[in-house]
Amino acid sequence: MSHRVRQVEAIANGTVIDHLPPSTTLKIASVLADHSDQVFIGNNLKSSDTSKPGKGVIKIANKELSTNVLSRIALLAPEATINIIRDYKVTAKGPISVPRSFTGIALCGNHNCITNHDECTTRFHVINPKPLTVCCAYCERNFPADELTIL
Amino acid sequence: MSFSGRHIVSIKDLSREDLIVILRLAQQLEAEPQPDLLAGTVMGTLFFEPSTRTRLSFESAMQKLGGSVIGFSDSSNTSAKKGETLADTIRMVNAYTDVIVMRHPQEGAARLASEVATCPVINGGDGANQHPTQTCLDLYTISKLFPQLLDGSAPLRVCFAGDLRYGRTVHSLLNALTHFHTELLCCAPRGLEMPSRYIELAESRGIRVEHNADLQECVHDCDILYMTRLQEERFPDPVEFHHIKASYRLDAQALEGARDHLRILHPLPRVNEIATDVDMTKHAHYFEQAANGIPVRQALLSLILGKCTPEGTLLKTTAEKGKGASA
Ligand SMILES: [Zn+2]
Repeated sequence: MSHRVRQVEAIANGTVIDHLPPSTTLKIASVLADHSDQVFIGNNLKSSDTSKPGKGVIKIANKELSTNVLSRIALLAPEATINIIRDYKVTAKGPISVPRSFTGIALCGNHNCITNHDECTTRFHVINPKPLTVCCAYCERNFPADELTIL
Repeated sequence: MSFSGRHIVSIKDLSREDLIVILRLAQQLEAEPQPDLLAGTVMGTLFFEPSTRTRLSFESAMQKLGGSVIGFSDSSNTSAKKGETLADTIRMVNAYTDVIVMRHPQEGAARLASEVATCPVINGGDGANQHPTQTCLDLYTISKLFPQLLDGSAPLRVCFAGDLRYGRTVHSLLNALTHFHTELLCCAPRGLEMPSRYIELAESRGIRVEHNADLQECVHDCDILYMTRLQEERFPDPVEFHHIKASYRLDAQALEGARDHLRILHPLPRVNEIATDVDMTKHAHYFEQAANGIPVRQALLSLILGKCTPEGTLLKTTAEKGKGASA
């Protein structure tokens, strides 16, 4: 334990998105942050129990996330946790809430789906929470959520 | 739920009770034709890809009920080809019609249409996704052959044979049949088996699903044999396709020893999975099945155009009301 160092910079105020599968961290960082944000990203971080797979963490300073951004994170990483930081203290902490449907945040993976050809906002319903699987409201195909392209 | 004004987009939207109302009304309309029931109403048939069978069946159903039909059967000379969105085409046609029947090559097109239309939309096929009126006519055919389907007195054993992986009609029919007292037998070549989500759906409704890839054995082990086409493009190896095609061919000889009441259904068109010598046997029922499209589509049109009570009892036409008053 003597070796324990902070793997990602602490932030004074803002949001920490924790427990991200490493394959999603960079994608999520790009959906939630823009060029003017101060962002710290850690990926494939090991806990003290090194037998466990690594995780991703994103810390974004001075920003609390909109519902729209949160639902995009939920789609990619339904097991993420969200911590709200104020004055270096965690003031709220909990698992991300996964909505029952996702509207206008992802493309349908079926190339022959009308949503990929016509003026239409995509909509997916959750049909299985774990692993998160969604069904396109239009073409009725099922997709593992992490295979969808996020808008 | 009342049918008046409802869209018929997916078999998933129809409950067991809905299906029973449709089947009973179809039976009534077949027994007692109603030539004036839909007088004064207009059906728009929007066929963005050709399907002569479905379109003619709908048009005949509408005309036999006194309604009229407008539409197109090929999108190549419509505004869709000029770049008009589907939503705009629907908003335009919608102003001329009381009900829209559409077929479209892309999955989800009918759902999108139902969201912009102010009149009810019936899905006549959206790509590889849904074709709910085909399912209703299949179910009607089975219920006419085996009334036990609706009263549940004895389980009906239905075998699906052929391409069960990609076959839209079998997926939808499985969804509908599993509302009733049935046992399912799946007969598919390796690689074209029924997807697990449909097996799980059946099991969640308490329906047992068995598998047997041997068509000859299955023929002797069911009340209904529902055959589908095998498509060559599903097979990476043409040699394998021809080999499997030969083992999934049904001929009159293969039917020897089948249950006396076995009936064979097929959504048509068949290619060569059913030999023409089967047509002469008492087991062939696919042409009667196709004819059942008329009463079933009449029932759906009558229901969504508000000519029935929620329980499916026909409301009296103006002419009948007049007769009643003078008697
Ligand atoms: Zn889709």
